Amino acid sequence: MSFGTSTDEETETGTGYPLRRVVLYITLVAMGAFYLIPIETGVMTSLTSPGSYTGQFPYLPPLEPLLSGTGEFSLQPWQTAVDLLGQGLVNSVILVVPATILSGLLGSMAAYGLTTVSWRGQIAIYITFVAGIFIPYQAVLVPLTQFWYNVVPLRTAFQPVAYWVPFIQNYHWKLVALIVTHTAYGLPICTLLFRAHYKKLSDEMIEAARLDGASIYRIYRRIILPLSVPMFAVVFIYQFTQIWNDLLFALTIVQFGDASVVTQELVGLGVSQSGTNFPLRMAGALVAALPTLLVYVLFGEKFAKGVAA
Amino acid sequence: MAKLTLDNVTKVFTEDDGNEIVAVDDVNIDIDDGEFLVLVGPSGCGKSTTLRMIAGLETVTSGEISLGGERINEKPPAERDIAMVFQSYALYPHMTVRENMSFGLEESTDMPDDEIASHVEETAEMMGIGELLDRKPADLSGGQQQRVALGRAIVRDPEAFLMDEPLSNLDAKLRATMRTELQRLQAELGVATVYVTHDQTEAMTMGDRIAILDDGVLQQVGTPLECYHTPRNQFVAGFIGEPSMNFFEMDVRDGRLVGDRFEYELTPAQRDAVGDADRATLGVRPEDISVDTEGGGSHAYDVFVDVVEPRGDENTTHLTFDPGVEEPETFTATISGLRHIQAGEAVVATLPPESVHLFDAETGTALHNRSLETAEVTEQLT
Repeated sequence: MSFGTSTDEETETGTGYPLRRVVLYITLVAMGAFYLIPIETGVMTSLTSPGSYTGQFPYLPPLEPLLSGTGEFSLQPWQTAVDLLGQGLVNSVILVVPATILSGLLGSMAAYGLTTVSWRGQIAIYITFVAGIFIPYQAVLVPLTQFWYNVVPLRTAFQPVAYWVPFIQNYHWKLVALIVTHTAYGLPICTLLFRAHYKKLSDEMIEAARLDGASIYRIYRRIILPLSVPMFAVVFIYQFTQIWNDLLFALTIVQFGDASVVTQELVGLGVSQSGTNFPLRMAGALVAALPTLLVYVLFGEKFAKGVAA
Repeated sequence: MAKLTLDNVTKVFTEDDGNEIVAVDDVNIDIDDGEFLVLVGPSGCGKSTTLRMIAGLETVTSGEISLGGERINEKPPAERDIAMVFQSYALYPHMTVRENMSFGLEESTDMPDDEIASHVEETAEMMGIGELLDRKPADLSGGQQQRVALGRAIVRDPEAFLMDEPLSNLDAKLRATMRTELQRLQAELGVATVYVTHDQTEAMTMGDRIAILDDGVLQQVGTPLECYHTPRNQFVAGFIGEPSMNFFEMDVRDGRLVGDRFEYELTPAQRDAVGDADRATLGVRPEDISVDTEGGGSHAYDVFVDVVEPRGDENTTHLTFDPGVEEPETFTATISGLRHIQAGEAVVATLPPESVHLFDAETGTALHNRSLETAEVTEQLT
């Protein structure tokens, strides 16, 4: 199609290259470079020898090979980063996947119950959901610690589970607490997003399903849920990024230890008394950012549909 | 197959500020097994609410709805064994035609899958949508979607069909085709059907009987011709028939109706019907008025043509008594499409006494309806 239009313009104007097109491409290339340079800089830095790091522009390929004397470049900082962040990455995945799915699923169910099904008092309930969006994180930090450490005996309750179920460790209780916290905190915004989507669904269609004999649950399962797929992509991407990148709740609830998530591990990576190892930190940051990138690629197409809807 | 009965059915909506709105007021209708009843009325008259109460989508404030002799007021829609066709078709967009049609059977019966499949295919063949079974609603034309919506209702083999303006989203030509097809289908299936429309043509042509609602109140239930020729009140008279009946509100003086523009000599029967009322409304259908270039008689009046609307088979003429006025009061008369008549022309309009209806000026109740035997009236006059 683009070929067709360009030939059209050429024949119209009679000159070889239409100026507008040239300007457009130059602008696009410049913008592309502008957005990609920080990432490129990161990649280059992660390959630079810590010793020669300060001596050059960060976005240029390293002058000094990482393994000095051999003339070879190496992915050593990346290996080190993966090794050191390994536990954190695993913990983050254990946290993020259930928390994202739960907040999306519960948000969708809540929105269905508050929008498509009509009952007395639902507006009041909905308003409390919306109010949840405006509670600042900082305000709940202390109560949250109190809640998980002193009010709910999750730690002791979790011990037999860890004992009997393989792969489950004692410290995982902190991740469970974090999953519940993130699910609860993500619920209002998820509900809001799904509600906006469900309001646009035809009432007559739901009524037709009711007349067809479907129960409230079956309508959700067979009509609403399949029609929510684009919105799920939006919510999943949003929640995944939010929870993956969160540091505040992790510091509050996990605090330290084996249950630390990747953002916590990243804080201390490559920091020592002898100085900061920037290539290692940069490699660590890129490793930690990779999963969110992956989620964008996986859900990107559906995401675009959901945003456009 | 069952009889559907509405007994004193009333629906009151309570607004947030406590205001009560009576949407349906004490409606009584019996729909026999296999009967096609058309509920007709202007928008906001409560016809859709009535239908939704039968379906179970709205609660009934008071009164009783029963199907096959059994009260169904409290039953949820799923248990009523009623299928409904919606104006927007309400197809499930993520399902194929086949899935759309099987959905109801899967949800409401224990029928095994292969039986459902053969049922769906049979119905689809009957509806002429056999080749569309694997398509999604978005890939279908409006007419095809309409058929799928009907098929989805039929495949469930319900006790009663409800249709909420199912043809209003189709273009005029397709609507006419579907009208006949629906009638044929309904007769074939023999299931009690309630059909809601605001279109009096659909009501006249499709219904075994029609029920006319206005402002939540049932005005008349009867066969289309009963409603057309013997309307119970002025509303029915004006609603049924296209173009509408002409009304003249006039004074009653010594057996004559006296208006601003003309006087009308009543027949003895009409005189009896009017009794000692001071005022009465005279109604006459456009097709009963004869328009001639000259002539006279006791019920002929000199008028002028204001506007002519040619329709091919007939012309709708708007006639007026005062031609000079900017926007004159007019009444309509239908004449043959072959006759040539022009705006501004002076003509003689005759209001034949046998085709005149009389209504109470205040309540609108019919006092006298047109005679269906012309001979009788002409005798009385002479």
